[in-house]
Amino acid sequence: MDVDVAAEVLARLRGVLRESAVEEHDWDAVVAETPIESLGFDSLTILDVLYDVEEEFGIALDPKQVVKTRTIGEIIALLEENTS
Amino acid sequence: MLHLLEYWAARLLLFGVDLLPPAAACRWAAALGSLWWAADRPRRRVAISNVLRAGVAGDARQARGIGRGAARHMGMVLVESMKSSLVLDDPERMRVDIPCDVAAVLEDPGRGLIVVSGHFGNWEIAGQWLSRYKPVAGISRPMNNPRVQKLALERRQRRAFRMIPKYDPDPGRFLKLLGDGEILALLVDQHARQGTLVPFFGHPAKTHATAAMLHLVTRTPLTFAVCRRTAPMTFELSLSPLIEQQRSGDRNADVEAILATLNARLEAAIRRDPDQYLWGHRRWR
Repeated sequence: MDVDVAAEVLARLRGVLRESAVEEHDWDAVVAETPIESLGFDSLTILDVLYDVEEEFGIALDPKQVVKTRTIGEIIALLEENTS
Repeated sequence: MLHLLEYWAARLLLFGVDLLPPAAACRWAAALGSLWWAADRPRRRVAISNVLRAGVAGDARQARGIGRGAARHMGMVLVESMKSSLVLDDPERMRVDIPCDVAAVLEDPGRGLIVVSGHFGNWEIAGQWLSRYKPVAGISRPMNNPRVQKLALERRQRRAFRMIPKYDPDPGRFLKLLGDGEILALLVDQHARQGTLVPFFGHPAKTHATAAMLHLVTRTPLTFAVCRRTAPMTFELSLSPLIEQQRSGDRNADVEAILATLNARLEAAIRRDPDQYLWGHRRWR
């Protein structure tokens, strides 16, 4: 993925996480290598985030693919794949 | 020590249930329900207050009657769930109404389904019966006594019906099981501290948003199930046509719309048979 595009997607993703997440977190410190499990989502808050991510990017993600992702970078790749 | 005593009391209870023929076991369970109604004053007050608040009784006397009936009903629910094998394969004891759109999902092994119900009728029988189509996962809160919990799980998990814990560190577990084409069975009428305020009998009640969010995010079909008792150990299971909510972009509004529909369906079932509902829990806090 183009570095600039990836950076832009990450910035938008941070924005969504900041708005959607219930728990406090330093979202500016979230990078591509950040493991998703370190962000403190539970089985309900993850759904809030997914809804808002899909609205922000105007796409529909395949939940089967989402559950396979382990890092923010993998989410970014999934978003890129679905928007291109 | 207390846990051990509770465990052996539960074993004794199950032994008695297993010895008795179904009709006698149900009568015995209903009598135990009556006893519980007489003994548990705080719960009795909650139940009467809830019945009056819901407006399904004209006065306190009628509310007490409904509450007592519901206590007897809950005793029977326990026994029926333990003896469910007698019911599940007997079409005389299990009348089922499944709309075409839901049947198509049930018969497609690749499609998951979200089945929502409430503490009405016998919701466990519904889950167990549906597991003839595909695996069903029902969510339960673990009991305080791990020995009794293990015993209950051994008796309640039948066919491809299994109980899964309410809390789990894996945030993707519901997505996985729906993606695998399983059924997720959820009860919508427990108080949810972080839930969405939705009317229930006209009064705002904090309601779990999980079913609604799963439908919105995964586009998994959603239906409401009612399994009402028509006679001891005899049921009528009906599933609603698929409930569909188009996404508006406003997450909260979408969730509220779905939950309002689910609550309305549960209310309709309760109004028909108010003594088959678990009134003794604090739904409005």
